[in-house]
Amino acid sequence: MTKPSTISAKALARSYRTERTLTTVTGLLAVAIAAVVLVAGAGWLGEFRARRPVLDPLVLDWLGGLPPWLARGGAIAAGVLLAVLGLWWLARSLRPERRPDLELDHTDGRTLTVTASALAGAVRADAEGVAGVVKARVRSVGDAAEPALRLRLWLREGSDLRQVWHELDTRVLARARDTLGVAVLPAAVRFELGSAQRRRVR
Amino acid sequence: MRVFVRLLSTVLALALAAAGALLALEVAWHWWRPAGAPLLLPWPGWRDTLGGLAWDSPPLRVAAIVTGGAGLVLLLAAGAARRREVPLREPAAGVRVTTSPRALARLVGQHVRAQDNVTGATVTAGSRKVRVRATSTLEAEQQLRPRLTESVTALLDDVPLVRRPTVSVVVDSPKDRR
Repeated sequence: MTKPSTISAKALARSYRTERTLTTVTGLLAVAIAAVVLVAGAGWLGEFRARRPVLDPLVLDWLGGLPPWLARGGAIAAGVLLAVLGLWWLARSLRPERRPDLELDHTDGRTLTVTASALAGAVRADAEGVAGVVKARVRSVGDAAEPALRLRLWLREGSDLRQVWHELDTRVLARARDTLGVAVLPAAVRFELGSAQRRRVR
Repeated sequence: MRVFVRLLSTVLALALAAAGALLALEVAWHWWRPAGAPLLLPWPGWRDTLGGLAWDSPPLRVAAIVTGGAGLVLLLAAGAARRREVPLREPAAGVRVTTSPRALARLVGQHVRAQDNVTGATVTAGSRKVRVRATSTLEAEQQLRPRLTESVTALLDDVPLVRRPTVSVVVDSPKDRR
C-alpha cells in the first residue's frame, strides 16, 4: 500500500520523467556523435583517420570477416529492439491520462462504484462554493487501485489564501471523504491566485 | 515547454520505431534475397556516398554541426520542462497543495503596488526567491527598501508556504540619481 502523501504527490501533474529522460538521452547521443565526427575530421585522432572515408573499407572488411549470422542477426535484432522501444515510447507519449472510477465496495456479489465524472462534478460544486473561489476544475487521476483527485482552483483577486487553504480541507475534501466513507482521499490542489478580469486603464 | 517536450518525444519515438523497423526489414530482405535488395530504401546509394566521403570533408562537418545543434535543442527543451510550482503546506495528510510562481508573483506585485510612494513594481517569484523591482518618484532606495522588504516578508509569512523564499528588493528612484 502506497502512502497517501506519495499518491497525492504523483497526482500533482502528469509525470514527464520518461519523456524527458528519453529526450535528454537522444540529445546527448546527437551531441556525442557530432563531437566524435568533428574530432575525427579535425585530425585529432590522426591525420590518417581524418582522410579515410566514413564508411571505411577496413571496417567493411572486418564486418565481412565475421560469420554472416552474427553481423546480420545482430543488425536484425538491434532493429527489432529499436522498433519495440520506439513503439512503447510512442504509446506512452500518446496515452491520455486515466480518469479512474472510485470503487467503494467490491465484495462478492455487489459492487459500488462512483464514476470519475460524478466524483469530479460533486467536488467541483463544493469547491466553487468556497468564498473566494471563482472557478474550479476537478478530475480523478491515478489508477483504480490508487485513485486521487486533482483540483485546480482560481481565486478571486484579494481573497484570503490562508482562509481558502483551510476551508478546502475542512469543507470540500472532508465532505467528499464523508460522503464516500473513506478515511483518506489523496488529493493534489493547485491554486491560481488573483486571476480576476483584466482591467484596462484608458 | 512541457507540451513541446511531449510533442518532441512523440516525434522521436516515431522516428526510432520507424528506423528500427526499416533496419530489421532491409537486413532481413538482403539476407534472404541478395539480388532483390534494396526493398524500400536506396541504401546501396547511401553506402557508395559514405564510402566516398572523408571524415574531414565539409559536407560531413556541416551535417555534424547540424546534428549537434539539434541535440542541444533537445537537451535545452528537456531541461526546461521541469515543474516550477511553489509548494504550500499540506492542510491534511495526503493533500498536496501548490501554486504557480506567476500567481505568487501577482500576489506580491499587488501588495507592493498598494504601498505608499510606490509608482510601479515588477515581481518574479519562485519557490526559493522572490525578486521585487519597485519604482518610486517620492522616496529614495535607502528609505523604501527596508520598508518593502519587511512588508513583503510579512505577506509571505501569511501565505502557508512550505519554505519561505528569500526576498530581494530593488528600488528605482530618481531621487537616487541626484
